[in-house]
Amino acid sequence: MGQGHRELPERPPAERRPDQARASPEQFRPRAVTSSSQQPPPASSCPGAGRRGAQARTGRTLCAMKTLPAFCVVLLVLWSVSEAKFDDFEDEEDIVEYDDNDFAEFEDVTEDPAPESPQRVVTTEDDEDEATVELEGQSENQEGDFEDADAPEGDTENEPYDDEEFEGYEDKPDTTSSKNKDPITIVDVPAHLQNSWESYYLEILMVTGLLAYIMNYIIGKNKNSRLAQAWFNTHRELLESNFTLVGDDGTNKEATSTGKLNQENEHIYNLWCSGRVCCEGMLIQLRFLKRQDLLNVLARMMRPVSDQVQIKVTMNDEDMDTYVFAVGTRKALVRLQKEMQDLSEFCSDKPKSGAKYGLPDSLAILSEMGEVTEGMMDAKMVHFLTHYADKIESVHFSDQFSGPKIMQEEGQPLKLPETKRTLLFTFNVPGLGNTYPKDMEALLPLMNMVIYSIDKARKFRLNREGKQKADKNRARVEENFLKLTHVQRQEAAQSRREEKKRAEKERIMNEEDPEKQRRLEEAALRREQKKLEKKQMKMKQIKVKAM
Amino acid sequence: MSTNSMSDPRRPNKVLRYKPPPSESNPALDDPTPDYMNLLGMIFSMCGLMLKLKWCAWVAVYCSFISFANSRSSEDTKQMMSSFMLSISAVVMSYLQNPQPMTPPW
Repeated sequence: MGQGHRELPERPPAERRPDQARASPEQFRPRAVTSSSQQPPPASSCPGAGRRGAQARTGRTLCAMKTLPAFCVVLLVLWSVSEAKFDDFEDEEDIVEYDDNDFAEFEDVTEDPAPESPQRVVTTEDDEDEATVELEGQSENQEGDFEDADAPEGDTENEPYDDEEFEGYEDKPDTTSSKNKDPITIVDVPAHLQNSWESYYLEILMVTGLLAYIMNYIIGKNKNSRLAQAWFNTHRELLESNFTLVGDDGTNKEATSTGKLNQENEHIYNLWCSGRVCCEGMLIQLRFLKRQDLLNVLARMMRPVSDQVQIKVTMNDEDMDTYVFAVGTRKALVRLQKEMQDLSEFCSDKPKSGAKYGLPDSLAILSEMGEVTEGMMDAKMVHFLTHYADKIESVHFSDQFSGPKIMQEEGQPLKLPETKRTLLFTFNVPGLGNTYPKDMEALLPLMNMVIYSIDKARKFRLNREGKQKADKNRARVEENFLKLTHVQRQEAAQSRREEKKRAEKERIMNEEDPEKQRRLEEAALRREQKKLEKKQMKMKQIKVKAM
Repeated sequence: MSTNSMSDPRRPNKVLRYKPPPSESNPALDDPTPDYMNLLGMIFSMCGLMLKLKWCAWVAVYCSFISFANSRSSEDTKQMMSSFMLSISAVVMSYLQNPQPMTPPW
């Protein structure tokens, strides 16, 4: 094995940093080693080294002169660092440099380096005629042995060793190594230097997860789309026979049927139908499960939920009488009673069982008055409700429908919300999430029920007593509302008056013409006086009345 | 089916156009998931970039995907794309700065 140029008295045998490992052979060359972290290219790091012939030589010498101090500094640093490192093998490097002669004496002393077959990569740079660089993978025994062996045998041997010389040494390294084994902490090779994909297993896991999410997105989206289309194909005929306009997204100039669903989301589809007797229009919303979101899919495995079809029929004012009525599953009604403005105000009782009318136990009734229930629960309706009870979530007829209760920050809203005569239906698609396109056919009779209800609502009229009761109820609700908001309304009126005054004052101030200003001020004063007089008159009148 | 089988219940003269429901606070009330996920994704990607935490960046990518999947059609795609790009850049930057593989937190 070549000796190489021994320009240093001691070379750090254990070089841990790969950059330094690469840099150190280059130290022996007259090259510009600017920093130890850089990896100078093998061919030419010196600016002049690229030129040929004499120029190259002069260039090289110049470089050598410039880099000599840097070179010395680097060597010093390396030496000191290696000294520190050599005390305890806590470094993470695996690429080490050895002059093989340094460790020739240790090679046979180590117990089982051969069976373990340490990774030895001998790299020699082609244009180098100096020491060969050995890169050895570190095995525990080797390191331990090197450390131990170094202490007792400090000097290096230049000659190939004799087996006989080391006969007595076999025990010594063993004992010393066993003594000193404990404090040694062997650190694993850092993962990114291992050149294996297995170390990046977490990243691979993440990417796999993302791919799974994307796959689920595509599959879920397609399934929802197929379900929606299946629903529409099943119901198209019925809808087209009842409504002039089937399908409208509001963007076309003319009111022509688009004949297809309006996709709002990956899981929500809308359909607007209009042009029928008694009703202004019907909005059907297919609220499917979020099959496109993997998190949702996993959550649904814990708690199964159904797809829903929500139908909202807006009635003409003259085509529906004044009543509030709801029927559905008990759970749904309790929730609606809490959420919906009209149900909470007009139907204060708890949901009652519908067994009296022949309904199954799963369904309950919320009604403003008994007469409404009597009127609504005719034979056909009961038939519908009984047969399809498992698919019905809620049925809600109301002339005071204004949506869910709005919670405003300032307390009560100042005005009663706008109401509309509406029929609302919520149906559950059978299958509890595991729906197939053919399940949509099961919903067709429910659409028949909706059409029947529209006509029924038009025909049903309260008698005189009922009407009186209904009117009283509505007046009561309005009064309550006004009382609650009285204070707020007063404050609002007061603030409005103050605004007006301020605006007027500002106008007077902004008038540039002094004459006009004076005149406006006088006018304002006169108005104030009049108001005061009026108030005084009123007070007098009240006093007189009281007396 | 219809009122009486003879007459057609359809009334072409009574056609009303579809009016999309006014989008006051309803979109947010209905389902705040996409907004939350968007915000969360941005926060995680900023954390991942500033603190050089790889797992933050990966979580940010997941958040932006979830936000996209749950998004409403009325939502701006620009917002979605920007959060997505931010999370991808967080991941890339984390790995450029430190090519070591991610260590599990346990």
